[in-house]
Amino acid sequence: MSRERSYSILCWVSALPLLAMGAGLFIGFFRYHAPGSEGLPFPLGSWGHYFAAFAGCALIAWGISLVGAARRPATGRSVGTATAVGLALAGTYRMLAWVVGDYVLVGDVLRLEAAIMIGLSLAFVWLRPVHPARNEAS
Amino acid sequence: MLRWLATLILALLFALNALLPSTDIGRRGNEAQARAEVPGSSARVGSRLPDIELQDLRGNPVRLADFRGARTVLTFERSVDW
Repeated sequence: MSRERSYSILCWVSALPLLAMGAGLFIGFFRYHAPGSEGLPFPLGSWGHYFAAFAGCALIAWGISLVGAARRPATGRSVGTATAVGLALAGTYRMLAWVVGDYVLVGDVLRLEAAIMIGLSLAFVWLRPVHPARNEAS
Repeated sequence: MLRWLATLILALLFALNALLPSTDIGRRGNEAQARAEVPGSSARVGSRLPDIELQDLRGNPVRLADFRGARTVLTFERSVDW
């Protein structure tokens, strides 16, 4: 399998959960304010739902960028770089969340998520397509 | 070069994540530590609770001893809406 094909699959695999989660967070805000509805299944309150909806918007934008990179891998290299950084940061704060102990209810799920995100970040680092100019030179 | 540097950083993060349970830095965050250091927080599974006094929703004092002999369920929640 070519590197571009692998990168494309990786982008699709990463984009779909981001889009789903982003939509969930965004819709959660509207559900929270709908009469008789409870919103997201976390004790977030009004401001928590407000910022969760904003995070949802960012996740949707991120997901759409990844879909673009999946369709045209050669021109979507920088999306891979940004995604690798974003996933590494997301994994890092999950490790801190595990250490803090305030999220003890979810146990080692935090560490599992961190491992998956760091692993995906590594995949983005190595599967990112070579720059077209360099490709032509070689 | 940058690719290898990123790989090194990510490998270190991965290793740290795997080693976390075997270190003694876990479960010592701000809130967790504050909870452990509450004066009089001597409650343990199987031991008798200290006789605490709190206020009900009308502001009346309620002592835990008032419920002695009756089956009592205590729940502790924090307000998230303000």
